[in-house]
Parts: sequence; C-alpha cells; structure tokens
Amino acid sequence: MAAKQKEYRRLPPFFGRRRGVGLISVSTTSCWLWLGKDHLLCIDRVWFKEDYKRFYFRDIQAIVIRKTENGRIANIVFGALATPPLIAALVTSGGWQVAWFIVTGFFLALMLINFLYGPTSACHLRTAVQTEELPSLKRLRRARKVLARLRPLIAAAQGELASAEVPVLMAELARPPVAVAPAASPAPEAIFQPPSANPQP
Amino acid sequence: MNTPLVSCTKCRAPLLGDVFNLPELIPCPSCGKPLQVEVFPAMFRRIAPGRDGEAVMEETESSCFYHPQKKAVLPCESCGRFLCALCDCEFNGQHLCPTCLETGRSKGKIKSLENHRTLYDSMALRLAIGSFAPPIIYFCWLTLPLSLFIAIRHWNTPTSIVRRTKIRFMLAITIALLEIIGMVMAIYFIVHNNNHRVR
Repeated sequence: MAAKQKEYRRLPPFFGRRRGVGLISVSTTSCWLWLGKDHLLCIDRVWFKEDYKRFYFRDIQAIVIRKTENGRIANIVFGALATPPLIAALVTSGGWQVAWFIVTGFFLALMLINFLYGPTSACHLRTAVQTEELPSLKRLRRARKVLARLRPLIAAAQGELASAEVPVLMAELARPPVAVAPAASPAPEAIFQPPSANPQP
Repeated sequence: MNTPLVSCTKCRAPLLGDVFNLPELIPCPSCGKPLQVEVFPAMFRRIAPGRDGEAVMEETESSCFYHPQKKAVLPCESCGRFLCALCDCEFNGQHLCPTCLETGRSKGKIKSLENHRTLYDSMALRLAIGSFAPPIIYFCWLTLPLSLFIAIRHWNTPTSIVRRTKIRFMLAITIALLEIIGMVMAIYFIVHNNNHRVR
C-alpha cells in the first residue's frame, strides 16, 4: 500500500520566526512557510491560533530579497556585551575570573552562531494585489535556497521567463493598452428556454 | 489597473528591468541596498477588466437570482441558482454564487478557503505541561482537569492543516493523568503520615 503523500512540506527554518522589526522582536506571532502542490502556505501562529495565507504559484509576480544590516548590528552588540566581562575576567582572579570568562564565552558563542548563519535579509513576495513580507526568510542564504526551490514550481505554473525578455516586456507593459472595440459575440446559449408564447402553425 | 513597477522594499524607489532576474545581489539605484529581484511572467500579464452582467432584453430570457435585471449566463455548481457574469465567482475551476462561496468558507467545506484554525491539541498539551510551573501550580486543580477536558472534547476537531497526527492530544492526556495520580498519591501519603504522627 503506497504511503499517503504529504500535502504540505515544511520550508526552512524548522522553527518559526517572529514577525517584527529590528534586532529583538517582541512580537508573539511566529511564522512558518510550507510548500503545497500549487501554492505557498504562510502560517502565522499566535498562542493557539493559526492564520493561513496562500500564495498560488500562478499569481506570484515577483520575489524581492534585500540584504539587511541586522546580522552585523547583532555581532556588534554581542561584541560590546562580551567586552566588559572579558576586561573583568582579565583583572580578577580565582572563581570570579572563571565566572567572567563563562559570561564572555556565552556572548562570543552567540556572536559565532550569528556569524555562521550568515548575513540577514528581508524577503518580500509580490502578487497583483499585495506585497507580503515572508518573516521566516530572515537569512540571505536560506532565502536564496527557498527561491531556488520555488523557481521551477512557479515556472511550471506560469512558464519560463528569460532575463533578456524582461526589459522588452517592461517596455510593452508601460505602453497604454490599445482600445479594442468589443467584437460582436454570438448570443450566449440560454439556460432555460420556456415554450414559445406564439407557437407556429 | 496593473502596476508593473517593482519597488525597493527599503526606499520604495521603482526598480528598472535591468536589475531583474540576475543571479547576484545588485545595489538599489536609489538607496544602494543589495537586492535580488526575481520576476515571473505573471508580472506582465494584463489583468482583464471585470465583467458586468448584461441586462435582460426579452421577457423570456433567464435572469440572475441576485440581479433580476441582469441576464443569467450559468448556474451555480453548488445550489443551482442562475448567475449573471457579475455574480459568477470562479474558484478552483468551479462556478459558485457568493452565498455558496461564503457558506463553503464559514462551514469549512472548501478547504482552500480556510484561513484560520484553533490548535486545541497544543492548548491541551501546554496546559498539562505548564500546570506545575509557578504560579500556575496553585491552579493545577483546575488546569489539569481542563487539559483533559479539552483533549477529550476536541479529539475529533481538526488541528493545524499541516499537522495530521494526534500525538499532542495523547501526550496531554497521559501527562495530565499521571500528574493527577501523582498529586492524589502525594496528598494521600501526607495525610497518612500526619495521622501516624498524631497516633
């Protein structure tokens, strides 16, 4: 018996990311991205409630990934937090020195983890009616991997688009649409035809 | 109206086509922030103008259920009511009337319209696990039975649309029962020991 295929596959990261601006987000909303058969599912969870947003592949117009400075700022902050305990560790001795070295090591570990994760980014997805931020794609490497995964799926839904075609299509779209007189269309087939009031002899 | 321009997400300046679909990060012409912009054919699709229903010209023509002055063009695939071009809601290949679409959404019959769910399994599990965390521990006589009630009452309620197992419910029931049994035994031993000392 074939295993039941999963309807959705989770996109990285495994743990959701919080919505919010800046280094430390106090938002209680966590966000995940899941890949469906014909759409991308964005889940926002607040406590025990989930809200779903679906972005169908045929409707996605653009994805914009912008590198941000949050990662660099975080490293500066961790470095600044590690410096006073390091100085304290160097001027003290005995048990206090060990304790200060542990505190310094904690902040340096955070700095190292942040560095290893890579630069931070902000990712936005655009459709005809909205531009939505994808908060779970806060790292540049991860955002590019997800984009590489989405590209063939979107191409399957919409068709391929070569880079050389883009300026031509942009120029075409910038031109106002040509007004076309409505063609005389055949009368639509009536759903219900009552019997004629004046039957033919 | 189709707005073809893609803007920088930092400074909102419109971006030109020469920065689209490139493999590397390109600085925004306005603010200089590194960007990677990927556009797809949907960007260049002209949106067709919305259809307005045609007026009924002859008395013998069928009219829309919701707009008696407009000509019916097709029936609703759910309830069979006649619909004009304005009332026709095409959704996932089906033609539905606005009422059936709303009913499908509110009653959960159209799964792809469902945009909200309550996670009773997570609620039951957190209540069970958190019952011994201060200061909730003073209310564990309430939270543990509540956790059991939620797990049993909502056993068949759909959880997250991406999650399918009942492991959280099972864990909540197991943990809550063990905690209740543990509490009862602890109270029994305390009372029993006190009685021994009194004697």
